[in-house]
Amino acid sequence: MKTPESSTSRLVAHLFRTEAGKLVATLTRVFGTINIDLAEDIVQETLITALHHWGNDNIPDNPAAWLTQVAKRKTLNELKRIRSMKNHFGHQSGIPGDADQIDGIFLDEEIKDSQLRMIFTCCHPQLPVSSQVALTLKTLCGFGISEISKALLTGESTVNKRLYRAKQKIRKLGISFEVPSGKHLTERLDAVCLALYLLFNEGYNSSFRPTVISRDLCLEAIRLAQILVQHFPDQPKLFALLSLMCLHTARFDSRTDQKGAIVIFEDQDRSLWNTQLISKGMYYLGEASVGKKLTEYHLEAGIAAEHCLSESFAETNWKSIHKQYEKLYSLNQNPIVLLNLAIIKSQTDSIASSLLALEKIAGNPQLKNYYLLPMTRGILSLRSGNPAQARGFFHHALKLTKSPQETAFINAKIKSCEI
Amino acid sequence: MKEFLMILKGDGLSTLSPEEMQKLLQRYKEWVAKLGEQYVTGQRLENHGSLVKGKNNIVTDGPFLEPKEIIAGYFLIKAENQKEADAIALSSPHLGLYTIEVRPLVQPLMH
Repeated sequence: MKTPESSTSRLVAHLFRTEAGKLVATLTRVFGTINIDLAEDIVQETLITALHHWGNDNIPDNPAAWLTQVAKRKTLNELKRIRSMKNHFGHQSGIPGDADQIDGIFLDEEIKDSQLRMIFTCCHPQLPVSSQVALTLKTLCGFGISEISKALLTGESTVNKRLYRAKQKIRKLGISFEVPSGKHLTERLDAVCLALYLLFNEGYNSSFRPTVISRDLCLEAIRLAQILVQHFPDQPKLFALLSLMCLHTARFDSRTDQKGAIVIFEDQDRSLWNTQLISKGMYYLGEASVGKKLTEYHLEAGIAAEHCLSESFAETNWKSIHKQYEKLYSLNQNPIVLLNLAIIKSQTDSIASSLLALEKIAGNPQLKNYYLLPMTRGILSLRSGNPAQARGFFHHALKLTKSPQETAFINAKIKSCEI
Repeated sequence: MKEFLMILKGDGLSTLSPEEMQKLLQRYKEWVAKLGEQYVTGQRLENHGSLVKGKNNIVTDGPFLEPKEIIAGYFLIKAENQKEADAIALSSPHLGLYTIEVRPLVQPLMH
């Protein structure tokens, strides 16, 4: 008999989750977008079947193929049931029926195609963006309700409502299960990019929480973006998005220390940066650098690339970064970009001019509750030899965050004012 | 050693996420391996079936119970006494997802 270790080690991490995502997409293709719930139920049943078979027996050599087979069998049974019911009520069957057709849908290439269709269905511009993200996590990434709620920092009932309403809207609007083409493609791709970008940022910006889910979000966003670029090799914007995701994720491990405390960018250990992800990001940035349209994703990737390629903080090419932030601001008047521009002044100009620029944007209503603004002013004040002023800023920052990590980070700074 | 039937009630698995199920599988395999010879058999039951009652030949569909009362499956295990059997149930990864009834089988008469 095999030991449980050697047997379960055959299961790659997150196998159930990844396969669930593939199968829900595949089954939605069979049963239609009005039946996403049915697709999810069958996949759940498939996983439960696996749990029992594999629990008492050995895990099969190819667990993913085993799951696909069982899901296919359950699908054929369900189709038989639907058909007999329809015959009973005298309806015409609108669902693919013959076994050959179903066989085809369960082939690897077609499963990928189904996932692509699912991305466009979940990220349909007529669904609210928050629902797009929740639905993507549920159906494409195989996340459960409590995992989504943790990942998005919202209550489980809110997540349930979002999912319920999104599915209802998909049925009501008759949103199709297709990859768009022609004149709609650009608009639909924009919506998909935005949803994946938000999904990614949910993970990246919350990485200070003591949970691995934030990293999973980033990796899932990368995985879905990779499916997209494979299908649309002529869309530079997609490559730019994928590039920025890789370049940011490369720095993940250096952003907190071993105890989970925040490490500011300047002090990060660059040897912890993931070189494989950096080279992937640089490759995708190269693929993105064709065509005429410069998007925000291009600029964000470009800025991230400058940081990743610089040997040390001191050698950072601040001029180039400043230029790209200025372009970014011309495309999108996002106050966070203004904040970054003001911070960069401390490198390209002087701390005094940086503090002045920060003071100017302090009244911006969108930045009013952003703890990093007073935090930055505090750090720069401290650096310019004004601990009394710094302390005031830090205490202000303290009021704007509830995160224990951020609070600890600010308190450490307050302490350093006293020395 | 006596034999005990562990009856699992509830529908705990239907709300688990794929990730949680994969973790459960791992813990389940460890539990079975640890029990070794004390684990006899176990099986999951389908959610549907019928209920046969009385003498009037009445057969109805389904157990017609609250989800938490539905029998989801059973295990047959060996233990020295009720206390040890309870401890095995308490160490089961199913606990929390299901309520577990631990009942000794009536001992056969010794010859």
